[in-house]
Amino acid sequence: MELLRPRTIAEATAALRDGAVALAGGTEVVPLLRDGPLLAARLVPLAGVVPRGVDGRRATPEAEQSHEVGAAAATAAPRPVLRVGAGTTLAELEVDPEIPAALREACRLAASPQLRSMGTLGGNLLQATRCWYWRLHSGCWLQGGDRCHAREGEHREHAFFGNGRCASAHPSDPAAALLALGATLRTDRRELPLSELYRLPRDDDRSTTTLAADELLLELEVPSPDASVYLKAMDRKRFAFALVGVAAARSGGEVRIALAGAAPIPWLLAAPDALDEATPLPGTSYKVEVARTLVDRALEAVAP
Amino acid sequence: MLESLELTVNGDRHALDAPVGRSLAEVLRDDLGLTGTKIACYEGHCGACTVLLDGVPALSCITLVHAVGGRGVTTIEGLREHPLVDAFVREDALQCGFCTPGQIVSASALLAANPRPTREEIGHAMAGNLCRCGAYRNIEAAIASVGGGR
Ligand SMILES: Cc1cc2nc3c(=O)[nH]c(=O)nc-3n(C[C@H](O)[C@H](O)[C@H](O)COP(=O)(O)OP(=O)(O)OC[C@H]3O[C@@H](n4cnc5c(N)ncnc54)[C@H](O)[C@@H]3O)c2cc1C
Ligand code: SF4
Ligand code: FES
Ligand code: FES
Repeated sequence: MELLRPRTIAEATAALRDGAVALAGGTEVVPLLRDGPLLAARLVPLAGVVPRGVDGRRATPEAEQSHEVGAAAATAAPRPVLRVGAGTTLAELEVDPEIPAALREACRLAASPQLRSMGTLGGNLLQATRCWYWRLHSGCWLQGGDRCHAREGEHREHAFFGNGRCASAHPSDPAAALLALGATLRTDRRELPLSELYRLPRDDDRSTTTLAADELLLELEVPSPDASVYLKAMDRKRFAFALVGVAAARSGGEVRIALAGAAPIPWLLAAPDALDEATPLPGTSYKVEVARTLVDRALEAVAP
Repeated sequence: MLESLELTVNGDRHALDAPVGRSLAEVLRDDLGLTGTKIACYEGHCGACTVLLDGVPALSCITLVHAVGGRGVTTIEGLREHPLVDAFVREDALQCGFCTPGQIVSASALLAANPRPTREEIGHAMAGNLCRCGAYRNIEAAIASVGGGR
C-alpha cells in the first residue's frame, strides 16, 4: 500500500480518480481495509486538505430562508448559519456551544471518546452499514450478490423503512441530526441539500450515496433552528449504535424529524404519522414502537 | 511499501521503517518493545490499545503509524509515576488486567482536562474502554479517588 501526500483539493481528487481511497480519521477505512470489504493500493490522507473547524458564522439573507413563510418571515431576524468543515472531529462538535443541540447531542452520543477524537464529520456521514453480513464480506445483495442474508437471518438491528432490497439501517447519528436541521453540503464541485447525498440502493446501482468516486465532502452549512434535539435508543447506556435515533428541529412553525437506525440511508420523516407506513421485518417491528415514543418525546422537547 | 518515519514515544525519538498500513499498536509492541499497550479486538471497539496523541486518547490499533505525524505518543510506559497506577491497585480496579493500561491512559487524559470529574463525567470519558471482567465500579472508584484527592 502507498500513502500519498496531497497538498490541495485538486491533487486529492486527481488521486481519487486513479482509484485511491480517501483517509480522514481512518476509524472506518482502517478496519475495512484489514477485514476485506475495502481494497486500496493507495490512500489519500485528507488532513490539511479538507477544512476542519467551525467558522464563517454569518447571517443568511432573509430571502434564502425559504422554510419561513408569511408574516413570520417578514419580521424574523436573520438566522445564523454555521459552516462546519467536513474534517472537523465529532469531539470538537460535541463541546461547541454554538452548534445546534441536535448535532451536538448526536455527536456526544456517537461511538466512544477515542473514536470521536479521531473520527471526522465527513467520514461519519459516509460510513458504511454495520450489517454483519456486509462487514463479514458475505457477498450479499448490497455487495453485488443476489440475496439479502439479513432478511431471513439476523436482523434485529436492521431497517423498518426503505428496506425493499437491502434491509440495513444507517448508523450515523450526526446524519440524522443534520437532516432534521436542513443542512446543506458543499463538495469540491456542487452544493446540495444533505438529503440528496443519500439514495436508496437499486438493482442497477447499489451505492447508498450520490457521491462520485473522486468527489470530496468539504463543508456543511448548518442553519440555527429555534430548538432542536437528538434522542437515541441503545442496547446499553453509552457507546452503542442507535437502535433508533430521532432528531427534531423546529424553525418558526415548521418541525423536521429525521431518523437514524431506520433505513439503509438517514431517513427524513415527512410527518409523525408517517410511522404508520413503516415496513418492518419480523425482527424490527419493535423499532417502530421505539420510534413512536422517541418522536413524541422529541416533539415535546422542541415545542415552543 | 516501506516508508521511513520518526515517532516520539514517551519523549524518546525513534527513526524507523514500516510498511504503509502498519498500525501504531504493532509498531509500539513489535518494533519498539512497548508491550504495555494491548491489542484485543483490533478494530476500534474495546479501547485496550488506547494511547495519547498529544494528550488526546486514540486507538492505536486503527491508527496508521504513518498518520501520526508530529504528534507525541504517550503509552502506559510513560505513565509509570501517575497516581492512577497506585489507585487502581488500592481500589482493586482489575481482575485479569488486560484492559488496565488502556483504562489508565484514558483516565489520565480525563484528569488532566478535568481534575475533579463527577461520576457522570467519568462514565462519559471512560465509555470507550471496555472491561470484560466487569471491574467498572472499582475502575470508577479508582479514578474518583485520584480526582477527589487532588
Ligand atoms: C466501534 C465503533 C462504534 C461507532 N459508533 C458510532 C455511533 O454510535 N454513531 C455514529 O454515528 N457513528 C459511530 N461510529 C462511526 C464513526 O463515527 C465513524 O467511523 C467516523 O466518524 C468516521 O470518520 P473518519 O474520519 O474516521 O472516517 P474514515 O474512516 O477516514 O473514512 C470513512 C469513509 O469516508 C470517506 N471519506 C472521509 N472523509 C471524506 C471526505 N471529506 N470526502 C470524501 N470522502 C471522505 C473515506 O474514504 C471512507 O470511505 C462508530 C465507529 C466504530 C468503529
Ligand atoms: S441488509 Fe443490506 S448489507 Fe445486510 S445482508 Fe442485506 S443486503 Fe447485505
Ligand atoms: S484493540 Fe484497539 S480498540 Fe480494541
Ligand atoms: S480487568 Fe479483565 S478486562 Fe478489565
